[in-house]
Amino acid sequence: MDPTISMYISQGMHGIAYGMILFLIASGLNIIFGMMGILNMAHAAFFMLAAYFCYQVVGITGSFWLGLLVAPLITAALGVLMERLFLRRAQALGHMGELILTMGIANVIVAGIKKIWGTESLPLQMPEMLQGMVNIAGMSYPVYRLFVIGLALVVLVFMMLLLYRTRLGKIVRAAVSDRDMVNALGININLVFMFVFGVGTWMAGLAGVAIAPILTVFPGLADQVGMDAFIVVVTGGFGSLAGAFIVSIVFGLLSSYGVQFVSQFAPVLMVVFMAIVLAFRPNGLFGAKD
Amino acid sequence: MKKMKTKANLVLWLALIGFLALFPGVFGIYYTNMILTLAIFSVYAVSLNMLLGYTGLLSFGHAMFFGMGGYGTALALKHIEGLGVLPAIGVGILAAAALALILSPLVVRVSGTAFAMLHLAFGQLLYVLALKLYKITGGEDGIANFPIPGIFTESLKSSPEHLYYLAMLVLGACLWLMWFMTKTPFGQIQVGIRDNAKRIDYLGYKVPQSKAVVYTLSAAFAGVAGSFYGLFHNLVSADGSLGIGMSFAPIVSVMIGGAGSFFGPILGVAVFQLVDELILRYTESTELVMGVILIVVVLFIPSGFMGLFNLFRLKLKARFFDKTKVEKAS
Repeated sequence: MDPTISMYISQGMHGIAYGMILFLIASGLNIIFGMMGILNMAHAAFFMLAAYFCYQVVGITGSFWLGLLVAPLITAALGVLMERLFLRRAQALGHMGELILTMGIANVIVAGIKKIWGTESLPLQMPEMLQGMVNIAGMSYPVYRLFVIGLALVVLVFMMLLLYRTRLGKIVRAAVSDRDMVNALGININLVFMFVFGVGTWMAGLAGVAIAPILTVFPGLADQVGMDAFIVVVTGGFGSLAGAFIVSIVFGLLSSYGVQFVSQFAPVLMVVFMAIVLAFRPNGLFGAKD
Repeated sequence: MKKMKTKANLVLWLALIGFLALFPGVFGIYYTNMILTLAIFSVYAVSLNMLLGYTGLLSFGHAMFFGMGGYGTALALKHIEGLGVLPAIGVGILAAAALALILSPLVVRVSGTAFAMLHLAFGQLLYVLALKLYKITGGEDGIANFPIPGIFTESLKSSPEHLYYLAMLVLGACLWLMWFMTKTPFGQIQVGIRDNAKRIDYLGYKVPQSKAVVYTLSAAFAGVAGSFYGLFHNLVSADGSLGIGMSFAPIVSVMIGGAGSFFGPILGVAVFQLVDELILRYTESTELVMGVILIVVVLFIPSGFMGLFNLFRLKLKARFFDKTKVEKAS
């Protein structure tokens, strides 16, 4: 194949891989907002925390797979704990209170990370199975990124099945549109909230572990990727999984092709895209009208 | 009773002004700079509160007006020779207000989350542009060492007290203006829009237009704050003036101080500064202390420090007067 074309394709694949990771974070953020109305500023901090947990697990046991399994689960447990101990008490204060509260929690998590693991960036070895390149139609491509794309797709399918094929998913979707009514029907809405928060942080955790071997683990991770994920949710529309998915992929591609063609202005592209979308559709591409 | 109260208030205000006037001579330059920073961020936070507390609009991008003020002043002083410091501040204010005017047709139609997000978008856009258009803005380094001509002296750089007095005069006037605005019928309409926009519309007031006016005014005051921030540091940079952190800082100050009241945000800024100062001396992790404060305030002092202050005042009053009077007063 022509080398330029194969380079374009591999750049595109890079973009899709990054977009998938963005989607994992963004969909957690999205579902939490859609259902509970909480703008979770600590979401990116949880995402980063999972990367550190994975680093620790790999350091102790030497197994990346165990880290991939355990780190997001611990993160999800912490997320549930935060919902139960802090957010539920702040519900009476309205969304501004919750916003400030999650900001505070994010600060504490980042401070804790700096205290425990220091500020240098820590390398995370990917498992041997995923190292190296694979040949696809005459061009070589890193296996690990393929693995990331696959992982995100599996989670996406799992989420879709959960949301649209189970009774629990039905309750969650109903709660997104009218939580008071669901509560009135005799469903323990607090339990559902806790569950949703757990799943949301679990997905953020998964994304954190997945990105760790690519970007290494450092305290600025939350700012770097968290902001992008936040922009994705805003542009795609709060409460819309499909919007988050499409915009994630678009942003992933924009950032990887942007770096290649207009490297100077690559970061501007995403923001310009967001500004244009919001100027015409203030609630995001697929957001519901208020 | 009422006359006595106004008299007491007058004395208190005069005492405060006298205290601030004598401050540099008594406490030295270090604490003077602290007070100056406090004043700058007070104006900034109160200008945000004009939107958040009085009109019910949450903005995630207020820093763009703060930054516009700073960049406007810095660029004017750098490129226009012989420009005085007051016209330069005026340029900053105009830049901020002009940006608000351009944005207002777009943003006054929306409210709630959409308003916040739209501002996040434009704020980030401006931030990234300031980083990338380095020929104009100096990129990451920003604009530093621009000349600052004094009104009575050659340059304000060598005489920080003069800058202090100038800043105090202008910023004080701004605070008074904003306070005055909340007392006018127009200010009351803003509160009405916050509480029930539809009813204000039915009463015959133009909701989007009034929103646009208060939005532009708020931006102009933020521009004043940004302008003085640039003059004070003699540096305007993307991270220092336009970054997302600068947008969130006043929101947090307003929430900590108490969004419902005029003086709450100022108290919030003061608490922030105090904590910052103490943190620098005793520990290294600013984030931890700040985070814990945010959590504690939201969970235990939901009405902010201003609410706490009012509660104490009422309790104190209850001790001196009998209870019926206090209930009437509150």
